[in-house]
Amino acid sequence: MLADFNLRIIFEYLPLFLTGLRSTFFISAVSIFLALIAGTIACACRISSIKLLKYPAIAYIEIIRSTPLLVQIYFLYFGLPTLGIRVPEIQTGIIALMLNSGAYIAEIIRAGITSVDDGQIEAGVASGLNYFQRMRFIILPQALGATVPPLLGQSIVLVKDSALLSLISVMELTRVGQTMTSERFMPTEAFLTVAFFYMCIYFCLKALADWSQRKLIYREAY
Amino acid sequence: MRQKTFFSLVLALTAVLCFSAMTFAGTLTDIVKRGELRVAVQSGAAPYAFVDKHGEHAGSMIDFTKGMADAMGVKLVVLDFDWDGLIPALLSGKADILAADMTPTLKRALKITFTDPWIEVQPCIFTRPDTDFQTLEDVNKKGVTVGVLLGSTGETMAKQYMPNAEIKSYKGGGRMVVQALIAGHVDAGVNDDLAVLTVLPDFPPNSVRLLEKRLGQGKDPLAFAVNHDSVNLWQWINLYFKTIRADGTYDKNIAYWMEGTDWKKDH
Repeated sequence: MLADFNLRIIFEYLPLFLTGLRSTFFISAVSIFLALIAGTIACACRISSIKLLKYPAIAYIEIIRSTPLLVQIYFLYFGLPTLGIRVPEIQTGIIALMLNSGAYIAEIIRAGITSVDDGQIEAGVASGLNYFQRMRFIILPQALGATVPPLLGQSIVLVKDSALLSLISVMELTRVGQTMTSERFMPTEAFLTVAFFYMCIYFCLKALADWSQRKLIYREAY
Repeated sequence: MRQKTFFSLVLALTAVLCFSAMTFAGTLTDIVKRGELRVAVQSGAAPYAFVDKHGEHAGSMIDFTKGMADAMGVKLVVLDFDWDGLIPALLSGKADILAADMTPTLKRALKITFTDPWIEVQPCIFTRPDTDFQTLEDVNKKGVTVGVLLGSTGETMAKQYMPNAEIKSYKGGGRMVVQALIAGHVDAGVNDDLAVLTVLPDFPPNSVRLLEKRLGQGKDPLAFAVNHDSVNLWQWINLYFKTIRADGTYDKNIAYWMEGTDWKKDH
């Protein structure tokens, strides 16, 4: 079995793999960044007492969380053009990943905020801090500490979910594997290499999260 | 010490047995012994192989392979794969026969063995009615996007005959290319004419225009395929087609599935 492994083909396709890696990296980075913004806004609306903000945010979060990402991608790519809105592949992918992860991130941040003990907020009120001061000095530093690990998890999920974009002809890592399989019929070599590159991205993200947790969170909260 | 020697002897014997079993087991013998003929199809390809409105596999190639299974006295097992998963399915031993609308190419034949072609189809270019494309030269321009199926001969032909156009490849059957064309993500598509014509009734009328009925040589043979070491199965399939061509079963199949659209009522 192992003797059949064709290393030469992997090197022949290395430039294409690197293109795919760059594309996956770019799409993921932009999507994670936008999803963090979308998630924060959605969370702020979700916990606000203004009904006009709260209910649309609940609807958005529940709709996204109850449908598969593939359906969302297909809807944006094949469904919206019939309504007259046509977005190119990569942008469709980024929007889909942003909307999808945004809903999960909103819930992660909300869980972090609600995890802060009520007594601390009451103490803040008793000390005469206003709403924004309480957020800035008491709630957010602690909430951030609780949210970084699940946020990292969500980012990793997003990177892996970006593989679905291969179905709308985006040339990312998984698509490179599929292309190589369809041209050379060597799925073992193709997908092992793809898996290796995804692992590289994963370890980069993990290092980034560890660093941010050390640098940002502990100094602020403790 | 003796125990160790005995153990290694057993291991060596098992290895030799396994190896010889792998070397001498002919696929045809395996199929009969197993009682199942496993066929890999791409079920998004009417009228070759598709899932009909009763939720069952139907199509010209399903009928052919059903006939083969009957002649062998075994059960037919149909396995669905995406286009680019078909050859790996055969190579990994998941299927005995590859029954897809596949063209025997020299590149593919490096990995699998093709039977004699059983039909010839015509690759065609199609587009939306609102485009002003008239010939191949109109499509072969910078800024034009052409949709194809990943790993299909349509993809190879598009790259060969339209080097200036941008090629986008899709997965999930010919329907996806037509869908992408109608949604406006591509300006034209390349596929077999039969594969295009049979999915058109599922879309709004007049949403697709056949631009050029013949691309390249205009002939695209289709063949079944088996693994390199299944020589006996390969010969058997060729003999099967000779037999059914002689007794008229072949002509009936082609007339029903390829030349008319009466099958749409039943499936």
